[in-house]
Amino acid sequence: MPAELVLQKLLKVFRGRGKPVVAVDHLDLEVAKGELVTLLGPSGCGKTTTLRLVGGFEFPDGGEVYLSGQRITHLPPQRRPTATVFQSYALFPHMSVFENVAFGLKVRRVSRAEIRTRVRDVLALVGLGGMEDRPPSKLSGGQQQRVALARVLVIRPEVLLFDEPLSNLDAKLRVETREHIRRIQRELGLTSIYVTHDQAEAMAISDRVVVMNQGRIQQVGTPQDVYLRPENAFVADFIGRANFLDAQIVGKTSEETEVELRGGARLRVAGTFDFALGEAVKLVVRPEAVDLVAPEVGELRGEIVLAQVTGALAHYRIALASGETMEVEVLGALEKGVLSLGTPVGLRLHPKTLHLLRG
Amino acid sequence: MRKSFLLLLVLGVGLAGWGAAGVLHMYTALDVDEAKIYIEAFQAKYPDIKVEWVRLSAGEVLARLRAEAANPQASLWLGGPSDTFIVAKMEGLLAPYKESLGWQYLPGKFKDPDGYWVGIYTGFIAFASNRDYLAANGLEPPTSWSDLLRPEFCGKLSMAFPYTSGTGYTRLATLVFLLGEEEALALEKKIAGCIHHYTKAGSAPVTEVGLGEVAVGIAFSHDVIAKGISKGYPVVLSFPKEGTGYEVGAMALIAGGPEPELAKIFYDWMLSAEAQSLFKKWFRVPLNPEAELAEGLITADMVNLVDYDALWAAENRDRLVELWQVETGY
Amino acid sequence: MAKGRGVGETRPLFSFSRTGLGRLFQDPALLLVVCVVFALVGLFVIYPLARVFLASFVHRGTFSARYFLYFLEGRPYLVRPFVNSLTVGALVALLGTGVGFVFAYAVTRTDIPGKGVFRWIATFPIISPPFLLALSAVLLLGENGLITRWLFTRFGLRWSIYGLPGLVLTETLAYFPLAFLTLEGVLGGIDPALEESAMDLGASKLRTFFRVTLPLATPGLAASFLLLFIRSLEDFGNPVVLQGRFPVLTVQAYLAITGMYNLPLGATLAILLLVPTVAAFALLQFWVGRRSYVTVTGRPSSAGLRSTEPSVKWPLFGVVILLSGIILLFYGMVVYGAFTELWGVNHAFTLENFRYVFSTGATYLVNTLKLAGIATPVGGILGIVIAYLVTRKKFPGRRLLDFLSMLNFAVPGIIVGMGYVFAFNTPPLQITGTALIIVLVFIFQRMPVAIRDGVAMLQQIDPVIDDASADLGAGFFRTFRRVTLPLAAPALIAGMAYMFSACVTSISAVIMVVSAKWQLVTVALLHEVDNADLSQAAAYGVVIILVVLGVILLMDSLVRRVLGRGRHAR
Repeated sequence: MPAELVLQKLLKVFRGRGKPVVAVDHLDLEVAKGELVTLLGPSGCGKTTTLRLVGGFEFPDGGEVYLSGQRITHLPPQRRPTATVFQSYALFPHMSVFENVAFGLKVRRVSRAEIRTRVRDVLALVGLGGMEDRPPSKLSGGQQQRVALARVLVIRPEVLLFDEPLSNLDAKLRVETREHIRRIQRELGLTSIYVTHDQAEAMAISDRVVVMNQGRIQQVGTPQDVYLRPENAFVADFIGRANFLDAQIVGKTSEETEVELRGGARLRVAGTFDFALGEAVKLVVRPEAVDLVAPEVGELRGEIVLAQVTGALAHYRIALASGETMEVEVLGALEKGVLSLGTPVGLRLHPKTLHLLRG
Repeated sequence: MRKSFLLLLVLGVGLAGWGAAGVLHMYTALDVDEAKIYIEAFQAKYPDIKVEWVRLSAGEVLARLRAEAANPQASLWLGGPSDTFIVAKMEGLLAPYKESLGWQYLPGKFKDPDGYWVGIYTGFIAFASNRDYLAANGLEPPTSWSDLLRPEFCGKLSMAFPYTSGTGYTRLATLVFLLGEEEALALEKKIAGCIHHYTKAGSAPVTEVGLGEVAVGIAFSHDVIAKGISKGYPVVLSFPKEGTGYEVGAMALIAGGPEPELAKIFYDWMLSAEAQSLFKKWFRVPLNPEAELAEGLITADMVNLVDYDALWAAENRDRLVELWQVETGY
Repeated sequence: MAKGRGVGETRPLFSFSRTGLGRLFQDPALLLVVCVVFALVGLFVIYPLARVFLASFVHRGTFSARYFLYFLEGRPYLVRPFVNSLTVGALVALLGTGVGFVFAYAVTRTDIPGKGVFRWIATFPIISPPFLLALSAVLLLGENGLITRWLFTRFGLRWSIYGLPGLVLTETLAYFPLAFLTLEGVLGGIDPALEESAMDLGASKLRTFFRVTLPLATPGLAASFLLLFIRSLEDFGNPVVLQGRFPVLTVQAYLAITGMYNLPLGATLAILLLVPTVAAFALLQFWVGRRSYVTVTGRPSSAGLRSTEPSVKWPLFGVVILLSGIILLFYGMVVYGAFTELWGVNHAFTLENFRYVFSTGATYLVNTLKLAGIATPVGGILGIVIAYLVTRKKFPGRRLLDFLSMLNFAVPGIIVGMGYVFAFNTPPLQITGTALIIVLVFIFQRMPVAIRDGVAMLQQIDPVIDDASADLGAGFFRTFRRVTLPLAAPALIAGMAYMFSACVTSISAVIMVVSAKWQLVTVALLHEVDNADLSQAAAYGVVIILVVLGVILLMDSLVRRVLGRGRHAR
């Protein structure tokens, strides 16, 4: 698929009082037509700034933005075919729902009759039919969010930008709305960039996820990729949680890699890695990819030092015999019974979820 | 919302857009209440000419003519001592008008030989004293310049700045003609030490004396009578026995003024007996011999006058004012 | 991506599109507005000021620092006004801040009754022409004033209100409201929990006040001191009436120009005045601005106010009552004076003065309303446009524009007026004597306040709303007109009401530019005072106050109606 939107070596530095802050550091990214790409990272990682550079609300100190081959780096927002759904929705408080949605069409000098039908259609699409005359202040948070979505959909932008659009909604509504957004985006085939700090949200709706930290891209890949094959410790830890154990490469086959952990235990990890025999590495273990078994049958052995139950999950911290500690999550804690402090346990790791990183 | 803004704008612009034809713009150094007498009479006679006027002290009129030299805003200057007019003439701020019959009939000492200004009245520098204050302290009104420095009056004097006010400058020049420059400035310095405050307008001290704000003020005698005595204030008029100065109150066309023809109509009218008879309301001494005189009018033969050389006074105005400022610190 | 890459490595040496200017060219409407605003500010703020500087160094056509040398030599007509102005300024700043603090403390920190009334009284001098207090001081305390005479006949006491005491009294009354408003915000922003916890830890009431409350209010106190110092130095209306034998810079500069047209002298006096005011302004901006450690949350936390013990409450109440009484007495005296036949001689009741004001003064009144009516919407909108540019937009020279457009806050009105006379007296920009010059003076002298109000109202509006509008395709003008302006409208109208009253009551700058055709009501009032026609002056004063109150009430009801439509709830 041809790249619709190309970000090339984008650089943005904020100079205020004190040291300049590099918000976006030579960022390269290509987004294909109809693709939904998520920018994911902790707050301050530069994801919103990147989005604002694409939207034209900020201008880069270096690099370029191309859309369908056209350079748009320095166009102001009103001259870009991009449209943004803002975190705070930014609805015009002095206009009704209809006027809000019609605003962009009026700017484009669309005829009155066409405005009326297009606004009605788009409001129906987002499930707000009949709400035309309400002021935004009389709508619920979810409804406001959908007005914001309708307002940008109606002008048929080439690129849709979402700036943490769900962060002001409660947890339940968030899930509902993200499915709604994904459905409409797919139906209309809209090229989209979606900013969020919620990894579950990113996993759920993205074609590809871009993990960012300190202004730099850490990894680009499908949700599965970044979860199962994190390229560095930051990604591994940010996408879900991870334990890092010291290990050494002791064997390689065409399908598996064998490592030895501290204390002598040996494990097979699915997949091949670009490591030499004898090289020191980190074994990445997801807390949920561990079974607790009797000490004798475990690949590793340890003792429970912390136990917390949060609903369906039991969370344990285990001191391994090697001196390292591991976090482990067990589903269905209540049925299985909660293990008490000091209980010796064995750990069995799921080979397919294991991953190796450079030490 | 938008409508209220538009309304405001329309209101503002609409209000701005009116004007009238036949407007004469005038600066006058006469008191507001006095100027109204003549201007209202003029307008009664010439109802199609509207007079827009501003009251300024004579020095201020001069300053304004200087400031507006490139773009004069008024056409006529009415009132104020002739020395200020002479300065203005020397600076090219006035326009001659020899064709006026009134100018032609007037004796030479009351007009500019080249027609740049014309005298309309005369007045004499006088003392105004608060009668109640005199009575309460068992005092006689001052009859000498040196009386001003008496401890009973010291700190209770009011008079005009010589730079803003024609009256003020006439006083300063009078002292120079009487005592010579050095002694005159020395006396002014002592007076400055006894002053309550200086005023911008020449006639202002009269009301202040009337109100009891100060005990003694210096002003022109007609102002003392018109603004003080005849208004019912407890004001007593007196003159310095050593001699006092006088003004020839004048009028002139302003060079490059926007409406010279209207100004000439007023000019001619102001020199008529009809207009000058109105001076009796303000106890001025008219220069038109046919004008009626006020009862109880102070005329030149009743006071001891110094030999006042208006031309010299005009030529030395800036220099004397600067010396006065250095000497007094005001 | 390799680590440690230099920030500017991939930047070309020069890229037009990369500079702010190039970016601006992408948004022609914004570019146009920025250029127009810069041109206006340059022409009507900076240029006149530059002419004043120039004039102080030119004597009879050649370069000369004559009057500066005279000043250094110690010529009294230059040195005395300088020393006098600074003396009055310091005393007024000190006393006014003190009075303002007492008022603010009483209103925010105690539970005295009648707070609303006190707040209203304390803000009254702000909307009325300040020099009315000077007029009133003469009516009451002049050599022949009501109180003076009573004291003299009863006790044989005599004193003079003219000079230093009169200036300090009237200016303190006129300007303490500014201190009150500043300190009310500061004290209201101090969480009562801080004081309570201090006392909880065993500190006495007095100790708490001196060790907690006062230090927290210190930046506010310093700010109000500097503010009052500036206002007092640039005051013209009060000293022109009351300076007596105590000349101050504003009046002397005015006399030098209007009385003598001695430009170098006037300009030199102006610069002697400008140096301390701008220094105080700089201090206010940079020093006090950074040291404020009170977080003003915008909601005065009066909720947690505890009751005050009687030993503090009632003496404070007494002081506040006394001060309010003095203010009411002063304004009441103006009303009384307006209805008397001849002040000091015949106090019989008459309506004659009002007949006079509405006949002779009618033109002046109409002129004032007309010109203020034009200047207010123009200035109000220009103010909010500049506020919008400096707070919401990025363009080269933004900080410069911010600074330059606020400059007239510190430049005394008399210097603004003087600059206009110098700058616009000759072609091609010959507008002296016209209505335009008065309107321009109104606009640009009051602009800093309009901008400050504009910034305050924009802070109430989420900038993302502007982004959204641009994002949907609206350019600068449409966004401003359809989105920003309607949202700011209620605050804008309120701001304009105050701008209008400020124009109607202003004297110091406009007195330099009024003309035969265009005379204003405040200047007419001053002429009456000059001529000692106090009753007529008082009648003018009453009319001006009524006009101002009327406009403020009208605008207030307009705002209520606009808000009442309920579309603005956010």
